[in-house]
Amino acid sequence: MTSLPTLLTDGSCAAVRLEARGLSMGYAHSQVIEHLDLLIPPGQVTAIVGPNGCGKSTLLAGLSRLHKPSAGAVLLDGKAIASLPSREVARRLALLPQDASAPDGLSVAELIRFGRQPHQSLLRQWSEQDQAIVDAALAAADLLELAERPLESMSGGQRQRAWIAMAIAQATPLLLLDEPTSALDLGHQIEVFELIRQLAAAGKTIVMVVHDLSSACRYADHLVAMHQGQIIAQGAPSDVVTAELVERLYGVRCVLLQDPLSATPIIAGIQRSTRPTEG
Amino acid sequence: MPRISPPLTAHCVLRLGDYSLLLHRRSSTVALFLCLALLLSSAWILAFGANGLTPWAALRAAFGQGEPMQLLLIRELRVPRLLSGLFSGAALGAAGCLLQTLARNRLATPGVIGIDNGATAFAVASIVAVPTSLAPSALALSGAATAAVLTFALAAGGGARGYRFIVVGIAIGALFGAATNLMLARADIDAANAAYPWTVGSLNARPSQAVWLLGGGLLLGLPAAKLLVRALSLMRFSDSVAIGLGVRLRLMRVLSLLLCVWLTALAVAVAGPVGLIALVAPEMARHLCARHGVPVLNAALCGALLMILADWLGRHLLAPIEIPVGIITAIVGAPYLLWILLRQSSRSSP
Amino acid sequence: MPSRLSLPRALGLAALCLLALILASLLLGAGDVGLWASLQALLGHADDEARFVVLQLRWARTELALLVGLALGGAGVLLQAVTRNPLAEPGLLGVSAGASFAVVLAINLGASAASLHLGVATLGALLGCTLVLLVTQMRGVGEDPVRLVLAGAAFSGLLGALSSLLLLWDQRTADEMRFWIIGALAGRPLDTLSWSLPGLLLGLAVALPLIRPLAALALGERVASGLGHHPQLTRLGTLLAVALLVGTATAAAGPIGFIGLIVPYIARRLVGSDIRRTLGLSLLLGPCVLLFADTLSRLLVRPYELPVGVITAFVGAPILIAVIRGHRLPTL
Repeated sequence: MTSLPTLLTDGSCAAVRLEARGLSMGYAHSQVIEHLDLLIPPGQVTAIVGPNGCGKSTLLAGLSRLHKPSAGAVLLDGKAIASLPSREVARRLALLPQDASAPDGLSVAELIRFGRQPHQSLLRQWSEQDQAIVDAALAAADLLELAERPLESMSGGQRQRAWIAMAIAQATPLLLLDEPTSALDLGHQIEVFELIRQLAAAGKTIVMVVHDLSSACRYADHLVAMHQGQIIAQGAPSDVVTAELVERLYGVRCVLLQDPLSATPIIAGIQRSTRPTEG
Repeated sequence: MPRISPPLTAHCVLRLGDYSLLLHRRSSTVALFLCLALLLSSAWILAFGANGLTPWAALRAAFGQGEPMQLLLIRELRVPRLLSGLFSGAALGAAGCLLQTLARNRLATPGVIGIDNGATAFAVASIVAVPTSLAPSALALSGAATAAVLTFALAAGGGARGYRFIVVGIAIGALFGAATNLMLARADIDAANAAYPWTVGSLNARPSQAVWLLGGGLLLGLPAAKLLVRALSLMRFSDSVAIGLGVRLRLMRVLSLLLCVWLTALAVAVAGPVGLIALVAPEMARHLCARHGVPVLNAALCGALLMILADWLGRHLLAPIEIPVGIITAIVGAPYLLWILLRQSSRSSP
Repeated sequence: MPSRLSLPRALGLAALCLLALILASLLLGAGDVGLWASLQALLGHADDEARFVVLQLRWARTELALLVGLALGGAGVLLQAVTRNPLAEPGLLGVSAGASFAVVLAINLGASAASLHLGVATLGALLGCTLVLLVTQMRGVGEDPVRLVLAGAAFSGLLGALSSLLLLWDQRTADEMRFWIIGALAGRPLDTLSWSLPGLLLGLAVALPLIRPLAALALGERVASGLGHHPQLTRLGTLLAVALLVGTATAAAGPIGFIGLIVPYIARRLVGSDIRRTLGLSLLLGPCVLLFADTLSRLLVRPYELPVGVITAFVGAPILIAVIRGHRLPTL
């Protein structure tokens, strides 16, 4: 794969600050997140990890304005995201939700063209720049050969790359991904993670919710560990991830090894903890 | 150097300086053909059965040229009926397309979810039960709105599953249908006869006032629907994707529902509950356009075509008995509804 | 879970209700014969007119309501059990529409004997039942209670349109059918009861041995097979019973909707969802609901009368919404 063309990252891509201040979120009867503060480091890959139900997907939904917070605010460049027009946000922040689904019969290229919609208007339906950016997004996700194939005929990994390509075509400085590799096999996972690394190398700020702690350590610059709606640790993966942290997060004991290639932590020798976990 | 992706094969781009328009080739061609088909069948229907009248002469007569007898037949009798068919069919086709996209379910049409019955009940009320000076059209509008609001409000709490929403609609429709029967049972025979066309759907001798109101409504409604199409095409994705691309989901839902209610009510005020047009026309349009986007305009054209053909069939199938157009569309549409229902697997996106 | 009554207590309550409603049905009417006069007539003291109205007209009507209510209540419970669907209702699923279309067709073709209607209506109901069976056997549709209802609505719409077409075609049929087609207990020929009764009894006789297999089927097809029942045979038998009951009721009083939804809903509320408990109770509750609706239909717009189907729809549609809005659809 070639490096990303500057087209996808220049212009609007001056680093964008995304932060949560005193954020509380929840559903009708239960509060999932309470008083959470978080600053997403610009230009880096941030991975949010934690056990099931710790609020990591809820946090991502809050950061991407899918759910309204019950208190506090999410700030995009210092302005409350809820007060910004939705299209305006869509030009600065792209999102790949977990439940992404498209209508039947859509081809890959058509899907990716939808990513340009926030930049278009009634009288500017398709500029030359739109065409160039869709081409670049197709190339970046290595989908040129598959461009005319219908989405439902593709493998899980290819489909996920197509969705990411749509988010790339939005040409936003910020990209939020909710479990981009869930339900993918190992090969496809690596495919997606390497694409994410490339995007980061081109200057995008990326936030992703990841289930697998070892992958998070390997591909993220910044790790946010959540437990019961609170951030209990954050920082560079090799600084943050310790056996104690893993036990606190997941209630398991483990041994930490080092990946011989990337020198990032790998979780091994997992056993059920004898100590009762908190809560 | 990256290779260049295939160009927009299915579209053509019109460019003028900074401005650009994206036209889907197939949809545009289909629209042209449908217009042509509408023109031809209109001329044919106008001329049909009148001695020595060619379709061309009929069209000329419709625009005021020809012998006085022909002019009388065409302009006073046939043109109003044709117009009411064209307008109501177009309105129902577009409304069906909007609602199907909104509910992400091909079976959600104004008739199935009770909007037709609501409009009918209120219109019948204005004729038989509550003598008011308000025109039936205005009351049909409020009836349609009431039914739509009730259905959406009652379905919302039970989870957003598309099929639940439809069954709530069936129940609301049954309520309004019972209310209509209630009023008809209380009414004296003249009022009941006056209200009869409202209950089956017929284009026979419709009040010209309502037809012009519908024409005006279409003039407003169709361009508005066309403006919504870009956002609506994103609403075919899951909610989170649509929000991520900057769609104001709630606003769009309310707008398209309002538009749907507006079009349905005006059409029902003219033609009565001919709901199944709203099911078949968008489906036909989608099929013709190779499932591209949200074909609101083509659905309207298909609806108009289907409506005038069904009305023609109803008039001539058992002549001299006239079959109301609502019965024809039900006989054609219901098996079709069954067919989609049984054929589709558990997923059903429009 | 709502507090439940024991079965004997529920049955006793329903029987009391039924007696009270029978009395109300005899005493209250839309016409000139008032409450006091009716009471006198019942005790044999009133003038001839009052006695005729109460003892002939109202009595025949009450009997018919008992019969039709029993048939529809029973059919509702059976249909819900066999489709395992709390929304299944003969009217919603198109069974009644099948029966009434068959009757319209028969009259249109020249049949005039009222007793013939029973057989024809049963055949039509059987057609509707077959469709229900086919749909429930389809993968992906059968498991979804709601889609079955939609299929039924489409089927009813089709048959309704065809019936209207036949009525338009033939003025004689139209005159004969005008009141029957919307469902009414009033003005039925006096011999209706005598030819309907065998149909009802036959339907109940077919249903009786199926109760235990149906209760087992509620646990799933595999479990029922494991317990030594034959699911397919049970289904066919139940649908035959439903067809007989609905056919009888429809031939006697026209298509009356929602009874088969209201009755099992109340019965489940009272004694839980086991068909061995609900069926008996429903046989009492069906006449109760229909008598209530019929009496109300005479009183609401005096001196006119409403078609009873209007009242059942007003009661039944909210119940349909309540069921569908329930936190999750109860599986049966």
